[in-house]
Amino acid sequence: MRQADHTEARQWLAKHGLAGAEPTLLLAARLAVRRRAKLVDSLLLAAFLIGAALTHAFGGIAEGTSSRLPLLVLAALVVGLLVAQWLVGWWVRRVDRRAGAQLSRRVAHPVELGWPAVLGRPYAVFTVATFTAALLLAVSVLPVSDSGLRRGAIVVLIGLAGAGAGVIMQLRQVLASPAVAEDEVSLTTDVIMRVEDARALVTPSLVWTLPAIFLYGESLGWWNAVSLALVVAGAIALSLIQIRTAGVGTTARRAMATR
Amino acid sequence: MIVIDAASPTPPYEQLRAQLARQIQDRSLAVGTRLPTIRRLAADLGLAVNTVGRAYRELEEAGLIETRGRAGSFVSAAGDQALEQARRAARDYAAVIASIGIDPAEAIRIVEAALGHASTP
Repeated sequence: MRQADHTEARQWLAKHGLAGAEPTLLLAARLAVRRRAKLVDSLLLAAFLIGAALTHAFGGIAEGTSSRLPLLVLAALVVGLLVAQWLVGWWVRRVDRRAGAQLSRRVAHPVELGWPAVLGRPYAVFTVATFTAALLLAVSVLPVSDSGLRRGAIVVLIGLAGAGAGVIMQLRQVLASPAVAEDEVSLTTDVIMRVEDARALVTPSLVWTLPAIFLYGESLGWWNAVSLALVVAGAIALSLIQIRTAGVGTTARRAMATR
Repeated sequence: MIVIDAASPTPPYEQLRAQLARQIQDRSLAVGTRLPTIRRLAADLGLAVNTVGRAYRELEEAGLIETRGRAGSFVSAAGDQALEQARRAARDYAAVIASIGIDPAEAIRIVEAALGHASTP
């Protein structure tokens, strides 16, 4: 194992209350692929936002010539983002599966871990509320007479639909992927990774960004204030949830406790 | 926790069956607990679906779990009855041992030998 991977695994174990456990090749491999996947995910999101913003800008310039083209381009961007995110998830699962196939001893929990145990209701409610608020904002902007703003609202609606589908799809992957463990410690780390992955998925960076980028028109309006208010309120709510709910390690151990 | 050791001479389905049975009988798995689906557990343990299916089938035949259609497999209340049945049999055995004057250590060795024989497929 490379020294950097060993150090990363040791720090990860200590952070999650497993300081006494020895870093293994299995853990190092799983952490490494997740680190790379997180980086690729961030780059994908950035590329999507840049592409969507460019589409929006050029759509505004070309207004009156071909008003459907920007929407088609945006739809293609959403599909591209979803497919790319699915491929990143598939890559992580493939690395996990290969690591698991090399184990001579396999360990699993006898009780299926559902989303309430892994994600937790506060995070689920927060996610639904964030998506709903952004959707309602975009829908309520549609009747506004500013055509640029209307196009922006459609962009937001398409983006939210795509992001929602992406979250559901990836959450299913996180919950359904097989356990990769050879002993009690690695089974605990497996569940901790699930909780971490699930919580990272529902952090609504895209949901906050879309209205703030696209809901602007020829003049500032109430929708701009609401967009910002949603980000501020969402950030406060997420911070409160993170403070008030149990940490990742505790949640994982609770999920593993047999009822 | 369920452990499947590929190097063990005991077949994987028997390792799985025995561990689930023990956890149900010592109540680590409470009555009504939903077990993972056969497909899910097979993926988790790196086993064939048929292997897990066989273990579940034998647990069902022993009355330790029950399958409720598409809802899945659950720890059966019969698990408690099975435990009580085992306790009753142990009491009867202890009475027989006492009546014929066999040493308790020897009696335990007989039981262990019988259990070892019973778990052999």
